[in-house]
Amino acid sequence: MLLNNSTFRSLCRARGLLSESTEDRLTIRTIAREIAISPYHFIRQFEAVFGITPHQFRIHSRLEQARLLLAMGGYSVTEVCMEVGFSSLGSFSDLFTRKIGESPSNYRRRARAMVQVPSNYPPLQLFPGCLSLMGSLPASAFRNFQEARPTALR
Amino acid sequence: MRIKLTSIMVDDQDKALDFYTRVLGFQKKHEFPVGEYKWLTVVSTEAPQDVELSLEPNANPAGKTFQKAMFDQKIPVAAFEVSDIDKEYKRLRALGAVFVIEPTKMGPVTLAVMSDTCGNLIQLYQPS
Repeated sequence: MLLNNSTFRSLCRARGLLSESTEDRLTIRTIAREIAISPYHFIRQFEAVFGITPHQFRIHSRLEQARLLLAMGGYSVTEVCMEVGFSSLGSFSDLFTRKIGESPSNYRRRARAMVQVPSNYPPLQLFPGCLSLMGSLPASAFRNFQEARPTALR
Repeated sequence: MRIKLTSIMVDDQDKALDFYTRVLGFQKKHEFPVGEYKWLTVVSTEAPQDVELSLEPNANPAGKTFQKAMFDQKIPVAAFEVSDIDKEYKRLRALGAVFVIEPTKMGPVTLAVMSDTCGNLIQLYQPS
């Protein structure tokens, strides 16, 4: 697929709307209309560019926002649930646990334990930046780097 | 001092591994679990001892902001050299890749820009 400039900008705008909006009323159909693309083409083109459907992207954005609020803010799990646009605490907790691998309350507890001093930035262990994972590798990793031969996936 | 490693932020490491191997044609070199993330690198099959590319999680909010800003401004964040850009363009389009710039001669190279499906635009270039 070759995207023209106008469609590219429309899809970027749609992505912004999906990540900013916590309102379920801003449906996929509404967003498609907003950017003047049919819902069918919008979903197909969005997935081709961003690797997931608009719906999946919205869920992912909300969960990422929830992670940050649980780690940084003085919010309870219920408050975070509402803040990111979930109306049911049960649904939010189930989804969070399924996608992140632990319950929101466990995650919040673990994240808070990592914050030694109040900061404007989240703990690096949970929100790593470029290359900061290197420092967490096991001691044998660099010996393996020297010895390892590339592994073909196919 | 040697340049042996570079990195690119991706919004999903599993999705990135699939794209960078199955679509672009690189091969996995290292995969170590680190908490909820991985230390994940790929290399070129043409030069497996060459520079490694680390597929980094864009978990940090500053990283997400940077990545989105570059993408929205249509600025590629990595560039890979190819021997025949027209052939690669056809091959990648057949695999479903999305291009925002088709092969275009610009100065000393012919280049094309595509989405890596993980939040980045990447540039392919063939030197003249």
